[in-house]
Amino acid sequence: MTGTPALELRSVHRIYGFGSSATNALDEVHLTVPPGRFVSLIGPSGCGKSTLLRLVAGLEQPDHGEVRVHGVPPAKACAAKLIGLVPQSPALLPWLSVLRNVTLPQKINKGAARRRERIAGFAERDAAPSAPDMRELLVKAGLGEAMDKLPAELSGGMRQRAAIVRAFGLRPDVLVMDEPFSALDEFTRESLQDQLLDLWDELKTTVLFVTHSVPEAVRLSDTVVVMAPHPGRIVDIIDVDLPRPRGDRLFGERRFHEYEDLIRDRLRRAWHGEAA
Amino acid sequence: MKALRVRRPTTVRGLLLHVILMAGVLVSMFPFYWTIVMATNTTQDITKYPPKLTFGSHLFDNIQRLLDSIDFFGAMFNTVIVAVSTTALVLLLDSLAAFAFAKYEFPGRRVLFAMLMGIFMLPLQLAIIPQYLIMAELGWLGSLKAVIFPATANAFGIFWMRQYMIGAIHDELIDAARMDGCGFFRQYWHVGLPAVRPGLAFLGIYTFVAAWNDYVWPLVALVNPDRVTLQVALSQLNVSHGRQDYAMVMAGVLLAVLPLVVVFSLFARSFIADATKGAVRE
Ligand SMILES: Nc1ncnc2c1ncn2[C@@H]1O[C@H](COP(=O)(O)OP(=O)(O)OP(=O)(O)O)[C@@H](O)[C@H]1O
Ligand SMILES: [Mg+2]
Repeated sequence: MTGTPALELRSVHRIYGFGSSATNALDEVHLTVPPGRFVSLIGPSGCGKSTLLRLVAGLEQPDHGEVRVHGVPPAKACAAKLIGLVPQSPALLPWLSVLRNVTLPQKINKGAARRRERIAGFAERDAAPSAPDMRELLVKAGLGEAMDKLPAELSGGMRQRAAIVRAFGLRPDVLVMDEPFSALDEFTRESLQDQLLDLWDELKTTVLFVTHSVPEAVRLSDTVVVMAPHPGRIVDIIDVDLPRPRGDRLFGERRFHEYEDLIRDRLRRAWHGEAA
Repeated sequence: MKALRVRRPTTVRGLLLHVILMAGVLVSMFPFYWTIVMATNTTQDITKYPPKLTFGSHLFDNIQRLLDSIDFFGAMFNTVIVAVSTTALVLLLDSLAAFAFAKYEFPGRRVLFAMLMGIFMLPLQLAIIPQYLIMAELGWLGSLKAVIFPATANAFGIFWMRQYMIGAIHDELIDAARMDGCGFFRQYWHVGLPAVRPGLAFLGIYTFVAAWNDYVWPLVALVNPDRVTLQVALSQLNVSHGRQDYAMVMAGVLLAVLPLVVVFSLFARSFIADATKGAVRE
């Protein structure tokens, strides 16, 4: 293991538009995430969570500051397939079956493995990056029956699962997810959380996870990052020191609620701070 | 579909609607029918009063005279070359430009698009003289290139594909493709194009028909009478024979239109299939 953080944002600014209509989507954001951690971003709508993810995924450039993924810029990390993204609404090609959709990333950019090795500190961690068996992952995600169907023939939750499997198929070292479960009912959501944790446990990826739900953040994360809007910024970073695996039993425990209350309190303060 | 079939036109309104539609069909079919009538009779039969309104048996005589007076199949071959290459280039270039306009942020995008809309408004008549001068400068006059290339970067085609792409290609898919390492062209080819197939089918039919029937510009640009397109060749029939042989001209028109009908019905089938598929999968 080397000391290179999986993710590093140094005094990142992102401004949309210019002049009087400019939106300060991110203002002076610092964040360091060591490899293998599960980090949640939480905050009111419009505080720049999606923007932060897009910066990490290399889909946008910061106006100021630096973003590093395993010590290299996001574009380079993407080329080496270190980053997997699960967007807010699932990105599946409508004319390909689920199986072909999730295997697609492996067919594109075959030079990724070579590029991976060149990124210092990564080769030793993942000495034999064998392509995971996508059929097996699909079965694990409960999509065994749906493999040969088109995305339009699936339910919303199934599509979301397919999108997650697709992202995992890259064996990304950093998985960024933008409110992946927000459109789902509570029951599906909890089972997907479990599946996500299983996969995370198995593949040892670093996860950056955007959510609006405080219990979800506490249940899943090692670290919760609280953000506030106008300008978009990080107001607090809270480590969740609870044992894993975090089963249903934990929901009833006092420690769990203490974390929930703490985060709610910080969110409220971020909200009021803005009003003042 | 089913709902429509179940609701039969039992009402007076429904009946009336059918009568009007049938009348519309008859009116628009009549010129085609009249063409066939003229092509199968002799000129005397169709110019007398009252004219003959039924099919005759002189089609092959008329065609024979047509083939004797112009190089019909040579001209048709030229038209096929023009229509096929124009359509292929329009589909490729217009959708490529449209993809950039629809899904890419680049400096000058708005200005360029406004200019494009300006071109859209210009009538062809305004462009003919400058276009002629350009082609003369390039030394392309008389060559099919002079007909093919001016038609390829088509303002309507770019506009149409752009509107279609804005709705049909989701940004998440482009983001995902970018992260997988697809550059502009692979995004266009693997994500953009498959998503807009119905739009392309329409543009393809439209362009092919327009190129096939185009008359004014080919007449101006194809200065060599031995190397012209069908429409120009048919127009030569009018001048090269003192007394009008309408039956022969109409036989030519009929033969010129047939390939179009074939292409149209082939394309239209996949066009309709694609459109409904898209609707079901939405
Ligand atoms: N492409 C864009 N152009 C202009 N402004 C933008 C753009 N994307 C985001 N913004 C602005 O940046 C700010 C942050 O947006 P962002 O999407 O990151 O918020 P968010 O935290 O993800 O919100 P939500 O929870 O509602 O998804 C918002 O004020 C938004 O209006
Ligand atoms: Mg968002």
